[in-house]
Amino acid sequence: MTPDVHQSIGKLTRQLHDALNGLGLAEKVKDLTGEIPDAKSRLSYIARLTGEAAEKVLNRVDQAKAQHDYIATETRRIGSLIVKDPVAAVAKGHVMNFLTDVEQSTQLIDQHLTEIMMAQDFHDLTGQVIAKVINLVADIEEQLVQLLIQTAPVDAVVKAPVPEYQPVLSGPAINPEGNPDVVTGQSEVDDLLASLGF
Amino acid sequence: MANELRFLVVDDFSTMRRIVRNLLKESGYTEADEAEDGVVALHKLRSSNFDFVVSDINMPNMNGFQLLTEIKKDEKLKHIPVLMVTAEARKEDIVMAAQQGAAGYIVKPFTKATLEDKVSLILTKLGLK
Repeated sequence: MTPDVHQSIGKLTRQLHDALNGLGLAEKVKDLTGEIPDAKSRLSYIARLTGEAAEKVLNRVDQAKAQHDYIATETRRIGSLIVKDPVAAVAKGHVMNFLTDVEQSTQLIDQHLTEIMMAQDFHDLTGQVIAKVINLVADIEEQLVQLLIQTAPVDAVVKAPVPEYQPVLSGPAINPEGNPDVVTGQSEVDDLLASLGF
Repeated sequence: MANELRFLVVDDFSTMRRIVRNLLKESGYTEADEAEDGVVALHKLRSSNFDFVVSDINMPNMNGFQLLTEIKKDEKLKHIPVLMVTAEARKEDIVMAAQQGAAGYIVKPFTKATLEDKVSLILTKLGLK
């Protein structure tokens, strides 16, 4: 980088700094900058949650498939025993044992399917976090547009619409550990409600 | 008797509505309808009979707190228990829900057992089980 370019960048930076201060936007931009790390941790939260959900689903599918394979193998084995000697297959308890195994396996498979279904809750949780990050980006965009409007020639200024008020809800707790204002799990919710007489 | 109860599941995410409905079904509660926000939920509650509401909080148009307030100030609806199932984990939100008349509060992510336990507890308290 030549000294001239370096000097030009320095001059532009100073002008931007002065412009932001002069327009009273410096604090707002500073606030938004402070939210960037929060946005980073929110995106990390999404990556973690989706990763965990995928891992959970794959593990449960593996286990369910193992149960399924077991039933398939046992069905073939019992089938051949019945073809060979139906009376002995019943009398020796092979058929009854098989039915017991099938019942146990289907119960286990049902549990795996329920867990696979529950793992899909990441869609709701990450969706809320993504919405918050989008709001942050939109806020930054709005501030930049305001900066453009306020620095534009007077006859080019168009008044920006006032956004409709929305109540603020915090959404999923990204880093609940060490934060006394949020609960870290259902047991804390139950304790809090119990302390209130509920 | 409990199995004949009619549930309304309110959540803006269709995935979560399906999960809650399926869990209720697995627990034996087969009668359930859905609403994607408080406005739709209130309309359904006023035009049909429901015995139990499971509601999210953070929703567009009308959030779960607003829905809870509307239900509790409506003479025809205020007897319906409202179980909040939400990602909102702030203590002040939990306290507010309790003060506004919520029958229970579950934080997401939750387990099948947690939902079953809370629904069962509320129904038992109300003598519906």
